[in-house]
Amino acid sequence: MKNYAHLLPLLLASLLPLATGCSSARKSPAPVVPASSGDGKSVAAADDLDEYESVAIADPLEPLNRATFMLNHGIYYALLRPISKGYEFIIPKLLRTGIHNAYENVKFPVRLVNNTLQGNFQQAGKETGKFLVNSVVGVGGLMEPSERIPALADIPSADTGQTFAKWGIGQGPYIVLPLLGPSSTRDVVGLAGDFALNPISWVTIIYGGYAWTIAIPAANTMRSLPNQLAQYDAATENSVDAYLSARTAYVQYRAAIAER
Amino acid sequence: MNLRSLILLGLLFTLQSAASAATADAEKRLEKAIDDVLAVANRSSSGAELADNLRPVLEKHLSFSAMTRRAVGPGWRQFSKAQQEDATRLFTTLIIRTYSNKLTPGEQPVIKFKPASAPAPGRVDVPTTLLYQGSDYNVTYRMEEPEGWRVTDVVIEGVSLIANYRTQLDAQFKKGGAQAVISSLNQSVNRPK
Repeated sequence: MKNYAHLLPLLLASLLPLATGCSSARKSPAPVVPASSGDGKSVAAADDLDEYESVAIADPLEPLNRATFMLNHGIYYALLRPISKGYEFIIPKLLRTGIHNAYENVKFPVRLVNNTLQGNFQQAGKETGKFLVNSVVGVGGLMEPSERIPALADIPSADTGQTFAKWGIGQGPYIVLPLLGPSSTRDVVGLAGDFALNPISWVTIIYGGYAWTIAIPAANTMRSLPNQLAQYDAATENSVDAYLSARTAYVQYRAAIAER
Repeated sequence: MNLRSLILLGLLFTLQSAASAATADAEKRLEKAIDDVLAVANRSSSGAELADNLRPVLEKHLSFSAMTRRAVGPGWRQFSKAQQEDATRLFTTLIIRTYSNKLTPGEQPVIKFKPASAPAPGRVDVPTTLLYQGSDYNVTYRMEEPEGWRVTDVVIEGVSLIANYRTQLDAQFKKGGAQAVISSLNQSVNRPK
């Protein structure tokens, strides 16, 4: 775990030029190119109200990405799904919600810093209020009393990849990460930023080497597993080409988040 | 204020009230559709039964022909009549299955409607929030008029169902034309779960 923490700045440094290099080429948050029909006509609509296009993202690593995607698929089914089911079976729903809330509450710096970097000071203020209410009244974030205060309910989340998008940095090439799944060059750097801003990673960095420090991020992985697998299922079930379906869903989802 | 601007203003108001009447119609239709779907979900005891019961309801409220046409994209014009029918039949089954997989009999989602917009004549987008199994989702329904306000797309957290298939099916069409699209749809309809 400790080695991983040291690797992160290196990863960040090595990937940043890639992401910024793409920004000049592509300014739009959702790199969508019009689909052209086979005969070279620029009209690519099935009818008058059809404004759909193939959702595109640069995918120069497609063969490697497809291999990683297949590998992930195997790992999800053989390993992570049973673990996730076990977690849902052993830990009662109420406690799972509490654990989920507590981890989300601790991630407050990720949202505060990114709202601030996006110039969204009102939201940053709301997040601070939410954090205080949930930490104090909600017993360290186990409960979410803030959801009952209209001004603090339903605050859209903020992350580092979203900040980059708002700054006009394009997605860059698509990357399928082992275990984590779909991402892009920009969002990989964003993940590194989220990791650095997340107090859960600070524990590992500061106290790294002790066995107990593994428990905290491990539990964090556990609590996000059911949700991550549900998202994977939603994107790939009933698909024609699961890889393309997951890629398209990811690009659209991130574009929507950038527009929030 | 001269006569011309008065007429213009009047026209604007008529257009606007026509548009709001359209959004109200579309919203009403969508509410009915959602109620019908939930009623079916509640009286079905198994997943297979749910899929069977959902078919007539969805066929009434969704425009499968428009959905299939746009999921396929520009290649649609090169499909023969029979191929278009095949593709529509398969895509319909796929969509119904997607719906019935999502619904667990007995679980009641809470749906809140947000103000609808009319981005084009004959088209209304109805944004909603859906609270289901403890999570909130932003779901926008795209409604169109030709056959009396029907759902033509569902956009969940920014991900459009039709745009998602468009990317996949357009790739198939470029690979092997109408036949490739149909056989890929066939494959995913017959894929064991």
